[in-house]
Amino acid sequence: MVKFKLNGQLVDVQDGLTVLQAAESLGISIPTLCYHKDLSPFGGCRLCVVEVRGARLPMTSCNLPATTGLIVQTESPALTRYRQAVLRMLLSNYYDASYTRNNGSTGLDEHSEFARLCREYHVDVSQNMAPRPLRPIDSDPNPFVWVDMNKCIQCTRCVRACAEIQGRFVWTQAYRGYQARIVAGADSTMLASRCESCGACVAYCPTRALDNKMSMTAGQADRLVRTTCTYCSVGCQLDLNVKENVSGDQVIRVTSHHETPDTVNRLHLCLKGRYGYEFIHSPTRHTRPRVRQHLLEGGASGNGRSKLVETDWDTALEIAARGLSAARRTHGSQAVGVLASGRLLNEENYLLNKLARQVLGTNNIDCSAYLYATSVTDGLIDSLGLPAMPTSFEDIANNASSLLVIGSNLTEQHPVFGARIRQAVLRRKLKLVVASPDFVNIAEYAALAVYHQPHREAALVNGLMLCLLEKGWHDPSVATSHPTRFAALQKALESRTPRWAAEQAGVSVEALYKSADILAHHRPSAIVWSVGLADPEHGQSNVEALASLALLLGDLNKPGGGVIPLHTQANLQGACDMGARPGWLPGYQWCSDQQSRLKFEQAWGAELPSQPGLPASEMMRQANAGRVRALYILGEDLLNSTPQAAAVRHSLEACDFVILQEPAASETTRYADVVLPGVTFAEKTGTYTNAERRVQLVRQAIQPVGKARPDWQIIAGLAQRIIQFEQRRFHTAYYAGWDYADSDQIMLEIARLTPIYAGVTHARLAHSAGLQWPVTSVQDPGTQRLAIDAFSIHREQLA
Amino acid sequence: MSDQPSQTELDALLEQAVRRHGVGRDALIPILSEVNKSIGYIPAEAFGKIRRRLNTPQEGLFLADSHVFAVASFYQMLSLQPTGAHVIRYCESAPCHVVGARQVLEAIQDELGILPGETTRDREWSLIPTSCIGVCGVGPVFLIDQDLYGNVTPDRVHEILDRYR
Repeated sequence: MVKFKLNGQLVDVQDGLTVLQAAESLGISIPTLCYHKDLSPFGGCRLCVVEVRGARLPMTSCNLPATTGLIVQTESPALTRYRQAVLRMLLSNYYDASYTRNNGSTGLDEHSEFARLCREYHVDVSQNMAPRPLRPIDSDPNPFVWVDMNKCIQCTRCVRACAEIQGRFVWTQAYRGYQARIVAGADSTMLASRCESCGACVAYCPTRALDNKMSMTAGQADRLVRTTCTYCSVGCQLDLNVKENVSGDQVIRVTSHHETPDTVNRLHLCLKGRYGYEFIHSPTRHTRPRVRQHLLEGGASGNGRSKLVETDWDTALEIAARGLSAARRTHGSQAVGVLASGRLLNEENYLLNKLARQVLGTNNIDCSAYLYATSVTDGLIDSLGLPAMPTSFEDIANNASSLLVIGSNLTEQHPVFGARIRQAVLRRKLKLVVASPDFVNIAEYAALAVYHQPHREAALVNGLMLCLLEKGWHDPSVATSHPTRFAALQKALESRTPRWAAEQAGVSVEALYKSADILAHHRPSAIVWSVGLADPEHGQSNVEALASLALLLGDLNKPGGGVIPLHTQANLQGACDMGARPGWLPGYQWCSDQQSRLKFEQAWGAELPSQPGLPASEMMRQANAGRVRALYILGEDLLNSTPQAAAVRHSLEACDFVILQEPAASETTRYADVVLPGVTFAEKTGTYTNAERRVQLVRQAIQPVGKARPDWQIIAGLAQRIIQFEQRRFHTAYYAGWDYADSDQIMLEIARLTPIYAGVTHARLAHSAGLQWPVTSVQDPGTQRLAIDAFSIHREQLA
Repeated sequence: MSDQPSQTELDALLEQAVRRHGVGRDALIPILSEVNKSIGYIPAEAFGKIRRRLNTPQEGLFLADSHVFAVASFYQMLSLQPTGAHVIRYCESAPCHVVGARQVLEAIQDELGILPGETTRDREWSLIPTSCIGVCGVGPVFLIDQDLYGNVTPDRVHEILDRYR
C-alpha cells in the first residue's frame, strides 16, 4: 500500500497507481485531455497538473507515480490559472469552422470533451481560438472518418488508440516545432496508410478533429440505447444514438462506451458495428405485409406466381397459416420446414423451435447459415461433447501463449477479437501460427504463416498431430484421460508420416514441424477457427481433427488454452442453443432421448417428433425433389448468402408455398408467396448469445418502421393462426399457449426448460456485461470456462 | 547526389545499411541517415522498404509507414525532398538569432536567390533551417554539407560559398 497526502487528507491506495489513478479511485476528479484510461499515459497536454510539495513547478498527475510521503494538492487558484493558460494555448492553434449543427443551428462545437473543459474553466473558445483556419477542413477522403486538423490539439489519443487498440498504426505525430502535426502514414491519406476505418480514433478524440463523417450534420442524439451489435459473434456492446422525430425516430450514429466494465469491446468497435447501421433506415425496408395476388383472391397455392401486393397483417398471417397448414395436412409434417437464423433473437429462435415441433409437428428446423456450410461447432459436439467455445475471448487474449488460426480471416470476420490478438502478439509475444489457403491480414503478425492447398485443412492438422506424436511433444496424459479417442487416433495415423501429410496439404514438411514446435512449446496453446474450414464436404471432419489436435496439445482445461470456434452471425450460437437445429431441443437436449422429449411434451402439451429432422441443405434438396412442399424462411437472403444460388432458386421454385420474413427486400423476395415484414435489431428487445456463450441484451431503440413487427410477435401470431385454423387442441400444459406480452416472458419460458439458461432473465442482463452459460440459477454468475469433461453432451449416448 | 535512385540501387543501399546496423528498433535512425547521406534525401519508396526490413511483430516491433515517416520528418538532418549538390543548414535557434543569424540568412538568400526550404534551379544549393547545432558559443552558425562555419557575418557569406563552386 502507498500512503500519501491528497488535498490535506492522508490516503491509502494500492501500489502501482499514478497520482491521477489514485485520485480517481478516491472519487477526486482531475481534468485531463491527452490522458485516457485505456491508453498509455502521454503527459503532453499538461491539464492534469497538480501541486506537489517540494516540486518547483506543477507536475502532470497522469504519469506521476503515487509514492508514500507525497503531499499533493489537486485544486488551487494557481492550478486553475495554470489550466486556463494551457487551454488558451491549445486554443491559439485551434479553429472551429462552426459546421457543427446542434439541433439545426450552426455554431461552435459545444459537446466535445475539449469544449466542455473550456466552458468549465471559463475560457471562451471564440475569443481565444485562431482567427482563421490553418489547415484544410475535411482533409481526408476516408468515407467514414471526418478529419479537420484545425481542431487538433495534438493530444495523440488517436495515435495511441490506433496503435494500442486497433493495432494499425495509421496516425503519427510528424514534423517538429511549429510544423508538428498529426498525419496519417507518410503524410498520406488514411486509407493509404493501413486504415481499417474502425473509428477508434474518432471514439478517443477529445476535440472532434476526428468525427463520424456519416453523421456530421445529424446533431446531438436525444437518447442513447445500449445494445448488442448485430454483425459477428464477438458480441460488442454499443450505443445506438437516437434522434426523436415526428415522422419516426432515427438512428443517427453508433457510439461505443466504457461505462459497463468487462464488456467484450469497451470503447472499441469495428467498421461494421460503428458505421454499418444505415440498413436500419434503408429505403428497401418492407413496411407492410405482402402476398401474391392470387392468394388474396382466394386462389389456392401453386397457381403460378402472381404479383406481390400489400395487405394487412390479419390477411397475411391468415394466408401464411393456411399455406403451411395445407402442405402439412396434404403431404405430412415432413413436408414443411423452418429456416431459422443467427440474426434473430434467442427468444425468436426458441419460438421457431416451438412452432416447428409443437405446432407443425416436425423437426425440420435448421439455421439457414448451414445451407452450404457446416456448423463450426458440430464437430466439437461429436468429439468433445462441446456445443460451444469452452473459454472466453478475454482469457485467450490475456493468457494464451500460442495460437493456431485456421479457416479464419480473423481481423475481417471478427475484427474486435482479431485486434485483441494483434495486441497480444505485440505486448506479450503471443506466438501466432496462421494457416490459410491465401494471405489473410492477421498473417502480418504471425510467427509462421502456412499457406496450404484449399480444402486441405484436415491434412495439415493431421500433419501437426503426426509431428507431435513423432517428436513426443503431445500431452502424455491424453492416453489415460481419453483412451478410446487416443487409440483411435493412433490407429488412424499409424501408417502416416509428417512428410505424407505435408504433401497432402501442399506445405513444406519444415513448416509443419515448425508449426507443431511453436504450438507445443509455447503453452498454453489454443486454436481459433471459423467458417473458412466449414465447407459441407470437409467441415465436420476438419473440426473433429482440430478437437483431436487440441486434446494432444493438452491445454483444453487450462486458462489460455482451448478451442475457439467463431460463428459468422451474431446469434448463431444462440440459435443453436435455442433448438433451431434438426436434432436438438433447446439447451442441447436430443430429440430422440425420451426423457428430454417428455419434458417438452409436458411443457408444450403436444406429442413431439422423435427422429431428427432435415438439416438445411437436405431441406433444399428435398424441396427440389418435391418432398418438402412449404418453407418458412426468416432473416436471411438465401440467394445472396449461399454460393449455390441456382440450386436454392430451383428449390424455392419447386415449393408450393414459401413464407419469407425479412426486414428489407432481397433477391429472395421474388420467390416468396407471403412476405412478412420483420424488423432489425434496433426495433426489438431480446437477447443474443455470442461465440463465448455470453447472453447479452438487445434493446429496442426505435419503433418498428412502417407496419413492420418484432419477429417474435409475428412467429407467435402465425402459430396462433395455424392452431386456430386447424382447430388444434393441446393438452393442458403450462407452456402450451402462444400469448406472450413481451420477449422477457419468452425468456422465462426458455429458462424453465433449458438448464443452461436457467438463471438468465432480462432484468439480470440489464445490469451486467451479460452472462456466460451455463447459468444454472438466478444466483449463478455464469461460467467463464466450461470444464471439458464435466460439461459434455453426446447425441449417441442420449439416443 | 540527389537523382532519383533506381529500385535496385535503393535495395542494394538498404541491404548494406541493414547489414551494418541490424534490424532492431534502434537501427531505424542509422539506416535513414545512411540513405539520406547516399541519395541526398529519403525517397518515398524507402519508407515501405525499410518498414518491411525491420518489421518483426513477434519481437514486439511492428513498424508502419507512419513510424518511419515520424522519425524522418522530425530530424532536420534528414530530408524528405531531393536536395541540391550542397546543403546549407543554418541554425534558427535563439542564441544564433540574437547575435545576427537573420542578417546572415538574408545574405545567403540574396546570394543564392532562394528562400528557406528551397533548392536553386541549377540544383547546386539547398537552404534548410535547422535547430541548434550545439555550438552556440560561435554563433551565428551554419553547416555546408559536413563543414561547420561559426562567427559568420553577412559579408563572409559570398567567400564561404565560393569555396564550393
